[in-house]
Amino acid sequence: MEKIINTLQRSLPKWWQTIKISWSNYTAYRLNFFLQIIGPALVFFFVKYNLWTSVYNGDPELVIKGYNLDQMITYHIWSMVVGLLAQGMSALNLAEDIRMGRISSYLIYPMNFWEYHTAGFIAFETLQTFISILTIIVISLFGLLPGLTLSALFYGFTYCIYVSLFWFVLQYLTGIIGFWLEETWILRVILSILTAFLSGAIIPLELYPEWLVNLLNYTPFPYLTYYPIKIFMGEIGFFTKGYMILGFWMVVLLIVNKIIWKKGIRMYTAAGM
Amino acid sequence: MSSIKHYLSVYKKFIETSFSVQLSFRTSFALLIFMDLFFYISTLATVDFIYDHVAVIGPWEKNKLMFFISFMLCVDHLHMTLLSESFWVLSRQIRTGELDFILLKPVHSIFTIFFRYIRPSSLTNTIAAWGFLIYFGSKVPLTTTAWLILPILLIMAFILLAIIEIIISTAMFWLTEGLGINFLRMQIQSLARWPDYIYKVLARRLFTVLMPILLIGSAPVRFMLDLKSWDYIAGMIAAIFVFGFLMFKIWSRALIRYESASS
Amino acid sequence: MTMIKTRGLTKNFLSYKKSPGFMGSIKALYKRDYITKTAVNSFDLEIQKGEIVGLLGPNGAGKTTLMKMLTGIIVPSSGEILVAGSVPADRNKEFRKRIALVMGQKSQLWWDIPAMDSFLLLQKFYEVSDSDFKERIEEMSTLLDVKDLLHVHVRKLSLGERMKMELMASLLHNPEVIFLDEPTIGLDLVAQENIRYFIKEFHRKNNTTIILTSHYMADVHALCKRLVLILQGKKGFDGPIEEFEQILGREKSVSFSFSETIEDHTHFFENWSPEWNQSFTKVDLRLPQEDLRDIGKTVLEKFPVIEFNTEKMPIERVMKTLMEKPELALGENH
Repeated sequence: MEKIINTLQRSLPKWWQTIKISWSNYTAYRLNFFLQIIGPALVFFFVKYNLWTSVYNGDPELVIKGYNLDQMITYHIWSMVVGLLAQGMSALNLAEDIRMGRISSYLIYPMNFWEYHTAGFIAFETLQTFISILTIIVISLFGLLPGLTLSALFYGFTYCIYVSLFWFVLQYLTGIIGFWLEETWILRVILSILTAFLSGAIIPLELYPEWLVNLLNYTPFPYLTYYPIKIFMGEIGFFTKGYMILGFWMVVLLIVNKIIWKKGIRMYTAAGM
Repeated sequence: MSSIKHYLSVYKKFIETSFSVQLSFRTSFALLIFMDLFFYISTLATVDFIYDHVAVIGPWEKNKLMFFISFMLCVDHLHMTLLSESFWVLSRQIRTGELDFILLKPVHSIFTIFFRYIRPSSLTNTIAAWGFLIYFGSKVPLTTTAWLILPILLIMAFILLAIIEIIISTAMFWLTEGLGINFLRMQIQSLARWPDYIYKVLARRLFTVLMPILLIGSAPVRFMLDLKSWDYIAGMIAAIFVFGFLMFKIWSRALIRYESASS
Repeated sequence: MTMIKTRGLTKNFLSYKKSPGFMGSIKALYKRDYITKTAVNSFDLEIQKGEIVGLLGPNGAGKTTLMKMLTGIIVPSSGEILVAGSVPADRNKEFRKRIALVMGQKSQLWWDIPAMDSFLLLQKFYEVSDSDFKERIEEMSTLLDVKDLLHVHVRKLSLGERMKMELMASLLHNPEVIFLDEPTIGLDLVAQENIRYFIKEFHRKNNTTIILTSHYMADVHALCKRLVLILQGKKGFDGPIEEFEQILGREKSVSFSFSETIEDHTHFFENWSPEWNQSFTKVDLRLPQEDLRDIGKTVLEKFPVIEFNTEKMPIERVMKTLMEKPELALGENH
């Protein structure tokens, strides 16, 4: 016990310091920072809002697969919030570190590679939570989120942060593949295209053909966007199934990450780069 | 004339070197092909799924909108092959000061920056992108005249997109960090992926006149669907000239702003 | 013929301060305290065709900023520049064909392909004819001894080899003015010497105007007849290299080593600011130039001298002193 406390006492300050540095890094270029928040909002207000108004032809009575126009808009608002919270791109620097050969410094520093980047992820996630809350407040002021309950909000945030952890572990994998693959961003773009399409971020899964939805239920995808949206919309409470399924995948990914990292670092040190 | 020859000879070298670089990274080469394909399929499938539940979106039935979407995918394909890598490279070049060397070269910097990196892997997807376009074009169906002017309109659409994106990316000179601008640029691109009629009056005017991204797809496709709508094409040509001129003006202002990273 | 001329050249940069932590980061999003830094301050310079001028100064003194303004990469905040008859900031095509910039810390070669491919691209950029191109590549690669490396991927080259390729890349179009920004940084002694020799040869053949910055005084000694000193963005000195050595007075540094400990080390030497080693077997003296002979003779006669030498590179000592006390060159009011 004492040993654990001791270790914590020694390592907490360095984690805290790394998190602080990451905050500075993320906000160093402020317009850049704002644009990353404004971007998705812009797409939401211009594209999605208009598109669906157009699809529904302005008819408030029309119901498509259980969604009337208002519900469809609500779905897309939450899709944006989930995107902010759960599918960040904090793994960007991670891949860069490997590609630019900055790994060597981590072999010398008292802070491990994964520790450094996990601290970066925590910093990123706190900022994103902050931004999401702001976004929700602003949208609520427009009166676009009726029937929002505190418990749904609480369950939603908790689950999204859990999803973001899964997403980070997955992104981490694409990053450390950089030991072998020159341009890992391609993997991340493929992943985000697939995720956007298969997780229900673009349109609700109810609109998909039945065979595809049945298939998707065997993958982690629906648990990344579709179900968190449902939690925010108050249709699901505490989502045990989602935690378990993503938890299973996370364990698998963590093991894979560990193996890949070991192989990568062995190759890296052997090559003496 | 000799200046055109000069630029062509440089461009030929750009293509050659891009090929030799990309072919040495074979896995990336293959993955890029998949990346584009996934994007095409997911975009088309999304629209297809929506049409499973409604008969029309705005005035257009399924085939017309699918034709529009494939037209935009072809523009995107040209953009992916010839241009898109450069925006990310520019962001790095400004931050690290690599731009210094480009500014020293006796060739216009817009040319060296935006046309230096070509993605040969995307060329492979020409078949897919054009395949979709021709398939949905024949289902609309297009008239013979429309088929004939299709390639020209496609190139014009690409030019207009390139001009607008280059204008947007000059903001990187003021912000130093390009990531945010690149995200914004991609979001704006996605505004153009839908026909202009889905937008409300104000937004439509804004994105047709002040920042004419809606003209990229809507003008040529509307013209092909109805050859009497000349006003659209006239607007598009005017936009290319006006914004092309603006691009050069803003670019030279941006270069004055350039601070170069200290070494 | 004047090749470079600047008047009142000034460049200001803007940056901001930020406090640490989450709230500091959030605060910096809406409120920033800006600071203006003057990198180059009212700089006058005139350089004739064929001169090799050494631009000296500590890190951050404004050397690179000055170079970047002279090449047209950045635009001055105020003041005038004329290089090879053009205003660099206009960036006209003819001007760009007449200059070259080599930066020891940055690379213009394409990393993932052999240097030769980059050269071929540069040939097209600068519209160099095939015959000229072949001849220059042959000549330069022989002189630099890199003929075998032209077709090796640049990322596989050593730093010294890469620098040689960088030089070739920059000089392919036979520029009239060359800016060399620390071309030998990080290189081993042999590679440094190779590069110096190459620059010298290139200059001898083409009568090129060359501006050189370097922290290695050996570079400056070997190449430059004239030095310009820049300190805190201002010109501290401009003149022949011999005069630079005398900025701090007309004294020579001489060191003597003795075969045994000198007991009476205070009395005889005290007039010439002696600096002894711990065992009192070696001393550095500062001697007035006109008394050098007499004092030297006396020391040799009176003490068991086993070795003596005068300083090889006085500018190194001058530079060191000036970095510590810039007011010696800039005057007291700075």
